[in-house]
Amino acid sequence: MIRKLLLVVSTIALLGLPLIAGGSQSTSSVKEINLFHFKVDQIEQWEEISQEYSRVNPNVKLVVETVGGASDWVTALKTRFASGSGPDIFVVDGPSLARTFDEYLTDLSDQPWVSNTFESARAPLTFDGKLMGMPFNLEGYGFIYNKEIFSQAGISTPPKTIGELRTAAEKLEAIGVTPFGNGYSEWWVIGMHLMNIPFAFQDDPAFFVESLSNGSATMAENPLFQSFQDLFDLTIEYSNANPLTTDHNAQMALFNSGEVAMVQQGNWKELDIYASNSNAEVGFLPIPINNNATFSDRLPVGVPFYWVVNNQSSVQQEALDFLNWMVTSDFGRSYIGERFGYIPAFYDMEPGFTGGLSQDIQKYAGENKTIPWNFSTWPAGMYNEFAEHTQRYVAGRLTYPEMLQAMDESWKRLSQ
Amino acid sequence: MITPNPTRSFMALLFLGPAAFFFFLIVLFPFLSGIYYSFTEWNGVRANPVWIGFENFRYILNEDPQFLGSFWFTLQFTVVTLFLTNFVAYGLALILIRPLKGAEVMRTLIFLPNMIGGVLLGFVWRFILINGFQALGDLTSFDFFNQAWLGTPETGFWGLVIVYTWQSVGYLLIIYVAHLKNIDTQILEAAQIDGVRPLRMFWNIILPLSMPAITVGFFLVLSWTFKSFDIVLSLTAGGPFRSTETVALNIYREAFAYSNFGRGAAKSLIYFIVVGAITYAQVRFTKSREIDG
Repeated sequence: MIRKLLLVVSTIALLGLPLIAGGSQSTSSVKEINLFHFKVDQIEQWEEISQEYSRVNPNVKLVVETVGGASDWVTALKTRFASGSGPDIFVVDGPSLARTFDEYLTDLSDQPWVSNTFESARAPLTFDGKLMGMPFNLEGYGFIYNKEIFSQAGISTPPKTIGELRTAAEKLEAIGVTPFGNGYSEWWVIGMHLMNIPFAFQDDPAFFVESLSNGSATMAENPLFQSFQDLFDLTIEYSNANPLTTDHNAQMALFNSGEVAMVQQGNWKELDIYASNSNAEVGFLPIPINNNATFSDRLPVGVPFYWVVNNQSSVQQEALDFLNWMVTSDFGRSYIGERFGYIPAFYDMEPGFTGGLSQDIQKYAGENKTIPWNFSTWPAGMYNEFAEHTQRYVAGRLTYPEMLQAMDESWKRLSQ
Repeated sequence: MITPNPTRSFMALLFLGPAAFFFFLIVLFPFLSGIYYSFTEWNGVRANPVWIGFENFRYILNEDPQFLGSFWFTLQFTVVTLFLTNFVAYGLALILIRPLKGAEVMRTLIFLPNMIGGVLLGFVWRFILINGFQALGDLTSFDFFNQAWLGTPETGFWGLVIVYTWQSVGYLLIIYVAHLKNIDTQILEAAQIDGVRPLRMFWNIILPLSMPAITVGFFLVLSWTFKSFDIVLSLTAGGPFRSTETVALNIYREAFAYSNFGRGAAKSLIYFIVVGAITYAQVRFTKSREIDG
């Protein structure tokens, strides 16, 4: 009986061995680059890129892994590293996450594409003069507005200050349209993008962040944070019903159906808007922070994610070659532009999609009227806490000074 | 007495070995390394966690009001859900053991929500509470429907209670029905012959005889709700403003959103001790009753 069992076990073991041996043999002839990203809407495109790259370089195989959508890609990425199988190329959403991985980052400063990349796109991931990540594209956000409804309400020039925005809101309400569709249940709409505004309008946002961390500045005493209240109150006063249970999908449903005239969202919603109405006339209004038109008329434009190369990888050089191929070959460039519908972060590339939102981002970027995406430099967990305090304010459970104080306390705790 | 012999111990190794190996690999090893990490500062990615002794525990107990707040919320939520689910399930069981037409179908229907995964359930109810209730509110103009459901801490709390009750009543119902059917009919008939009125029969005979099942029901719901994560994540995600954040959700955020693995591990160790104490009490309590009975 036992002998029979042993026989079975050893047979299984013998059968298994060649499989294991065969597996290791194939990797020695073809090198695998493992690439990790979170754009679930681009799975198909990445499959095509992988095929093309294998065709051009038969001894390299690009293995693409996509974690995103409803699942938490940062958690998935950390789990990969914790289990000792970190990918060769992966994405980070900004300096804060990049610092989490600082032991694994490869210096990309000497790469051929660097000089061709927008300075402002490189700056966030330049640590001590070394570039640690490669941007693909630019994104922007603000108040997306329905131009048709605006002209119906008799608003001829786009509002640029808080005062002008208030006048516009009054006119919109007069024709029975709710001015703002606030997605304040979404932590990233309220805690990240909205609260970025008073940070990004500082003369030197990086210095301001540093001052908050070393205790030499507070949000409660900062004049821009104080004047930001007028804007925040305006959106709450002219809000859709129940902003604290409205998520980003509900926001777009309100906007696309014409129930609201403005939503605080970004150009990643552009395809969504044109899919529901191919003749949509939309554009960006910057989120004003005071009544100075030239000061407030600047759009938050940033790099949504960077590609970084794992310095522990056994195929580091192959990984660098692949990234370079993406921005130098016609095939790769056509994907960044047309197939992904991106606004490229490179001087020598054209945007792939030219809807009203992309046009406005390009216009503002071209005129240098942009403010940074400062939130990517905040300590980890900060947007969650900001979302909590600002939602309390929207619900009327905190006064504005109390909200700023709570935010200061969060900063003190999380920047330790 | 069985004397161990070589073949026996070989068989023991053969059959228990794999299970023991995987238990060590999947349960024991992560648990022990979790205890180690709770004494370190670690972001979950760096190669070397830094040993900091009891600093994480000091911070959690002194400087993290949100953690204690989520413990308090979880406790409130657990107590309310505990009584509500058992009350509703027991009441339904009393009705559905009667020889009614369609009682079987009703039992199946009530059990059905238990078969749906928590995350999906949360999303479905999120839609019902936010969009469905709003539509009903527009039609009927009842204040109950016209509240900002899930938009205030109170509606968030009751929203969770409703969904949890809806999900777990079916399971408890099965337990109660099975138990009530097993009550000796001789006792009930004897009581009837003695002229006991229905209400008195319930209070003095049926309810005391149901106590073992009610104990099981209480502890089941206690352990479910105290550890609740999935429904909370998809229904409210702890919102608005973290007022419905359960302990499990708070630990998850600490480790993954705030990148404090060490502190998250310390929180889960505290959580483990509390859950362990509850489980211990449960085992003691049920054991003692079994001996009495």
